[in-house]
Amino acid sequence: MKTAQVIMATGANAAALAVKSARVDVIPGYPITPQTSIMEAVAGMVESGDLHARFIPVEGEHSVLAAAVAASAAGARVFTATSANGLLYMHEVLHMASGGRLPVVLCNVNRGIFAPWTLWADHQDSFAQRDTGWIQYHCSSNQEVFNTILQAFRVAEQINIPIMVNFDGFSISHCLMPLTIPAQEDIDRFLPPHQPEWRLDPAHPSSFSNVTMAAEYAPFRQMLSDDIMAAVPLVKQAAQEYRDCTGMWDGDTIETYRLEDAEVVALAVNSMAAELKLSVDILRGQGIKAGLLRPRLYIPFPADDIIQALPKNAQVMVLDRNYNFGHPGGILAAELKSILFGRRNDVTVKNRVMGIGGIDLTRRFMAAEIRAMIDEQNGVL
Amino acid sequence: MLELRINGFGGQGSVTLAHLLAQAALENGEQGQALPFFGVERRGAPVRAAVRMSPTAIHAHSQCDLPDYVVVMSEKLVQAAVAEGICESGTVIINAPAAMAVKDYPTWQVDAEAIAREADLFSADGPNINIPLFGAVCRVLNIPQNIMAQTIMNKWPGENGARNLGAAGKAYNIVVKIDG
Repeated sequence: MKTAQVIMATGANAAALAVKSARVDVIPGYPITPQTSIMEAVAGMVESGDLHARFIPVEGEHSVLAAAVAASAAGARVFTATSANGLLYMHEVLHMASGGRLPVVLCNVNRGIFAPWTLWADHQDSFAQRDTGWIQYHCSSNQEVFNTILQAFRVAEQINIPIMVNFDGFSISHCLMPLTIPAQEDIDRFLPPHQPEWRLDPAHPSSFSNVTMAAEYAPFRQMLSDDIMAAVPLVKQAAQEYRDCTGMWDGDTIETYRLEDAEVVALAVNSMAAELKLSVDILRGQGIKAGLLRPRLYIPFPADDIIQALPKNAQVMVLDRNYNFGHPGGILAAELKSILFGRRNDVTVKNRVMGIGGIDLTRRFMAAEIRAMIDEQNGVL
Repeated sequence: MLELRINGFGGQGSVTLAHLLAQAALENGEQGQALPFFGVERRGAPVRAAVRMSPTAIHAHSQCDLPDYVVVMSEKLVQAAVAEGICESGTVIINAPAAMAVKDYPTWQVDAEAIAREADLFSADGPNINIPLFGAVCRVLNIPQNIMAQTIMNKWPGENGARNLGAAGKAYNIVVKIDG
């Protein structure tokens, strides 16, 4: 391992620096708050020559992803970024990227969805893309954003599935913190150049994603489903080899904190899950055996790892920063319940929705919410 | 973990002040975090920024609701800033032309505007009070003066840095604790 550099960087800059470190070839972009800072930084790097890539400004997010699909089909390593309604506008093309088996990496800077307008973070935008055939990571720190983009390119290119790297608007994207940038030599060892098995090439004309009859279509969809499930060991391998190359670790499919002997388990994603470590400390100080389980991977949902990590008889408190419309709580809680059913009947699940549209989630507030959920669970009013 | 909140008006340089403080923490061998709150940005509207410093990893990503220090960029904001939240043992640092104390909290005062004017530090929005305030806050937090200087000169190498450093150094030396 060579000497790493430590600088102060916002989460958005961390993402841009990861794009540079990954030696990305093509970046189509369109601005939307709070993602715009990433595209500004990347465009600046391309202009200054720090990043030898093609930056393609287009007229909207649907075209951004269409350009990304085309560039990826031509064999390029492709990155783009968006937020909230930009991601929703991409929705159709998200399916085209995954069905076309194109390993694009996209940063979604989480922001609440219109209407009414909000600029600030919740997780409705990324969770609403659950069934698009993309793998999804959710990151809880600036450093993890940097590390995960590199891991995402590696996994995506191994299995030809696009990956979305999500992190919170403002509380990560505009938060200035120390960032460790490993030596380029160590990153290159971890992430070799992209060598697709197939690419569009004018010298050898071919077409892709044609009309298929059911007999062809169905196996394609089955393959996509199987391969997404098969991403779990690759995600773990990427995390471990990234640690071998750089010394850094954010967890693999999940991250845990004080979980081994926990009776009460907080479960959440993104920056609120980082702050929850402090809430766990507060609760421990009050005599409650609390712990944290943070799914780093949302798609595929890491069922086996969560089931294995949860202590016996755990009371799981899911803190959702999104709504599962038509159900009383959030989406994470529903995902968790679906994997526990029939496999871990000793575990109980309670759920609260909070932090919508950027409502500040402090360590004290979340500790108090968890205490209230424990009282509710125990029938104390 | 030390937590600090800056309360100011848009255009006064609160974000740059937060960034300087987080950078100074790193130069001082600690972890630093600057987390400005971005609203619908308008000059003159109340703004705030959170700053954290810690010898160990910082996991918090919320605004500082009960900080150890509140930095008030304008004496007009003192009451509102303190009402927004400060921890029981908290300290207030105020940019004000004359000594002023805040009930129940140790208070430090510096005339950052006068120092900025004297050093001819101006931007389109007026005098750059954030530079002297950076010096004053470093003094109150016991961040060594050479770390303060290093932070400024790394950000603005050359003549601009030297002028900023002069103003920050002056504030470092004259910021005064008010007996309440």
